[in-house]
Amino acid sequence: MTGAAVTGRPMIEVADLRKFYGDFEALQGITFSVGKGEIVGFLGPNGAGKTTTMKILTGYISATSGRFAIAGHDGFENSLEVRRNIGYLPENAPMYPDMGIVEYLQFICEIRRVPRATRRARVGKIVEMVGLGPMIKKNIGELSKGYRQRVGLAQALIHEPPVLVLDEPTSGLDPNQIVEIRKLIRDLGREHTIILSTHNLPEVQAICSRMIIIARGSKVADGTVEELERQGRESTRYLVSTRLPDGVEPYRARSELNDIAGVTSVTELSTDGGVSRFAVTTTADNDVSEAIFGVAARGAWVVRELKRDVADLEKLFHRLTQY
Amino acid sequence: MGNIWAIGKREFASFFNSPIAYFAITIFLFALGALFFWQEEFIEQGQATMRPFFEWVPWLFIGLLPAISMRLIAEEKRTGSLEMLITMPIRDVELILGKLLGAVLFLFVTLGLTAAYPLAIKLHGSLDLGPVIGGYIGLVLVGTAFLALGLMASAWTRNQIVAFLLGAMLCGLLYGLDKLVGVFNEGWRDAIATLSMRDHFETIAKGVLDTRGIVYYLSITIVSVVVGTYSLESRRWT
Repeated sequence: MTGAAVTGRPMIEVADLRKFYGDFEALQGITFSVGKGEIVGFLGPNGAGKTTTMKILTGYISATSGRFAIAGHDGFENSLEVRRNIGYLPENAPMYPDMGIVEYLQFICEIRRVPRATRRARVGKIVEMVGLGPMIKKNIGELSKGYRQRVGLAQALIHEPPVLVLDEPTSGLDPNQIVEIRKLIRDLGREHTIILSTHNLPEVQAICSRMIIIARGSKVADGTVEELERQGRESTRYLVSTRLPDGVEPYRARSELNDIAGVTSVTELSTDGGVSRFAVTTTADNDVSEAIFGVAARGAWVVRELKRDVADLEKLFHRLTQY
Repeated sequence: MGNIWAIGKREFASFFNSPIAYFAITIFLFALGALFFWQEEFIEQGQATMRPFFEWVPWLFIGLLPAISMRLIAEEKRTGSLEMLITMPIRDVELILGKLLGAVLFLFVTLGLTAAYPLAIKLHGSLDLGPVIGGYIGLVLVGTAFLALGLMASAWTRNQIVAFLLGAMLCGLLYGLDKLVGVFNEGWRDAIATLSMRDHFETIAKGVLDTRGIVYYLSITIVSVVVGTYSLESRRWT
């Protein structure tokens, strides 16, 4: 049996979570919460901190500082209760290859305290639900990646946890399997609170009610898919590629661009062979292209390219997460 | 308790899928057979005694048991399944004890397979059962301590070979401590010899269930379990 959830609080609460690996700060203070019945996509490039966050939520590693609670249970003081309330699919679904599917799920039932009397029925139901029926006699080691992933989902679901944490649930699957697993996750979202990580944007649009984007260990966006799409439309970005004259350092040029009225931020994308590339972000109704030319003319920069770039979700993601 | 049993049971069953376990146990039984029939001690004594058997088995255990325990944690670290197990609602110490239980059950099977020796001796003459029972209890104690040492070593690495070598070294050192101290003067030698596993085993193998011996083996087992648990926990902080 899973422990009772404390009602009236979000199912997942994370406050200023930090994690250092040696000197490297993998999580730089992440805060978010997930309500009951939400499917949240945890999005970010590789190494952004998605997996680290999930490993902390599931009790595999400890955060360096910060707090979190699952179903109202504190992650540090009541780790066992937290783990009872979570079903976890780690990346690549590592399991015992020499065990049979049923044997393995029975083992999980035993550890998860599924009452003995209902185990057989429970295993049967889950096997049906994740579509493992045809493979039922096989050992886990004999299964293809897609079916192994399903066994991983099955073990995460077997005790009917209120919260599901899925680390890249569709990685390595073929397109048909992806469609099936996504449908399964959407269906599960009606009764479970789900947080899933991915670096695949269409996946989030397909199954998630909300997305949290993280980059370099920090949260950079949080909202429904529609909200973020709007946020993308509301800002415009200009890409400037320019050869700076000798003696003008890129950071000087950057600060001059930043001084243009209406510009909200400037990022130096690269400097290579004397050619610097900048991304200049403005609010949507501000056309700063002429002002950029003006700055360049005054400083005798050779403008090689100036491009206006209206963002859709994909570009927004790219813009928020790039280095 | 339920968790320890569940893990122990699974671990025990998986030994029978492991070629290394069969291999190790076969070598062990062959080596024992070879010693039993070809070693002069066994034959020439010309009397029904299990003494030489109980003297040899712990030495063979130094090679056998670390080969059984080496994969317990290291293998799960390598494949990543440890993450799945640790994120279940199980205490780390339950995980370690469950693993130890699985290995100890396997030890019982191994010892069961050696029952042919006392039976063979019994056929040739009268056999005093007291020392035989004492000897087997001693082997269970030594074996459990060896497995716990090997399990601890297995929690230190993801490489089974390293786990085996470390485990065998620890077992060998602790068991043969009294043989290694020839260089010290007599006072030191006696002090160190009391720390040797062999010293305590020989008392028990004579049929004397000496409390100090039992406490000694249990202490080694408990210390190994505690250190192994901390090693497992250390992942959280690195």
